[in-house]
Amino acid sequence: MAEYKQLTLNPPEGIIAGPVNEENFFEWEALIMGPEGTCFEGGVFPARLTFPPDYPLGPPKMKFTCDLFHPNIYPDGRVCISILHAPGDDPMGYETSAERWSPVQSVEKILLSVVSMLAEPNDESAANVDAAKMWRDERDKFEEMAVKHVRKSLGL
Amino acid sequence: MAEEFVYDPERNYDEATLAQLRDMEKEIADRQNLISNRIAFDKLSEEYAKEDEIYRTKIQGDLKNRYDYVRKTRGDGNCFFRAFGFAYLEKLLTDQTDLKRFKDVAQNSKSELVKLGFPEFTIEDFHETFMEVVGKVENQCSLDELLETFNNQGLSDYIVVYLRLLVSGFLQKEADFYSCFIEGDRSMKEFCNQEVEPMGKESDHIHIIALTNVLGVPVRVEYMDRGDSLRCNQHVFPEDSTPLVTLLYRPGHYDILYT
Repeated sequence: MAEYKQLTLNPPEGIIAGPVNEENFFEWEALIMGPEGTCFEGGVFPARLTFPPDYPLGPPKMKFTCDLFHPNIYPDGRVCISILHAPGDDPMGYETSAERWSPVQSVEKILLSVVSMLAEPNDESAANVDAAKMWRDERDKFEEMAVKHVRKSLGL
Repeated sequence: MAEEFVYDPERNYDEATLAQLRDMEKEIADRQNLISNRIAFDKLSEEYAKEDEIYRTKIQGDLKNRYDYVRKTRGDGNCFFRAFGFAYLEKLLTDQTDLKRFKDVAQNSKSELVKLGFPEFTIEDFHETFMEVVGKVENQCSLDELLETFNNQGLSDYIVVYLRLLVSGFLQKEADFYSCFIEGDRSMKEFCNQEVEPMGKESDHIHIIALTNVLGVPVRVEYMDRGDSLRCNQHVFPEDSTPLVTLLYRPGHYDILYT
């Protein structure tokens, strides 16, 4: 609740988020703008956040509900970055310096991390191996894919 | 023979592992309250005898002569914080000498954390719950009510989170001094983000030193290991103080001791 207020009063640039409806604060929708100066620029990408009953002790899950081809997003849309995992719960062997979930993290911090993930993919801990390979070896093709998904996200 | 493992790309192993972890946590939760009633030592050594002769010797030959009871805590990685929090508040129920000082420290701690850069909206719920429980103790709630509070997973965890935040705040504030004591090549902020603030991360000496310092509540720890010595080693944090709380440490776990 306090978080929702905080996000509404001080929305970070390029991010809109809030509960899907007033009755259920455990399901949020978010819209993420593709960061400027990247191949995702101009895109508006919808996502869902699902909060566990013990939030904020445990992290929410986040899933894009649109097509996004990205090293740190599973093909089904689930986002895989270190801040969505508590230390010890380590599917990708994140670097020791990577920021982790703790009860004082917030939706805002997650969404900002997702924006930087879009700008700078981490191909060391890939959720989508094909995307990671293409990002590394065939950057042109990767950017082409991204632009396609940007256009799709805008309904073009 | 175990079945041969075949990787299924459609399956989410990450979630399967987590589900298994949660099952194990649930099993422990069903077996052990967050904080137990007081247990007499005889009963405890019966329990230990089955698994460990060395522990039994140390209980019978040493601890039993110096202490009367123990309260067991759930082994969920938060036991130091929960044991410390409960034992100290329980002490305040019968002896209010330290209460006013403690309440002021606790009350002012939130603005200290905000000054250190914790966003207020992320810490205020934890602080509020913590102060409500301190308020209960100030109003002389019953021991049963305090025990109930600490066995209510939601309330109890919020108290643990707040104690963790106090440790994180203290270590970050005193980072110049304490950074030499942390393992690995990481900053104090990273250490706190990974080893202090998240629930379930076990406590080391550095956590104990920080918590006793920031709250001004000295604690004695009796160390019961599998070493040859017939007695437990004890350590008081900070040294040369008069402890208000005594904890029993077995490798990886803290319980509460009473005379």
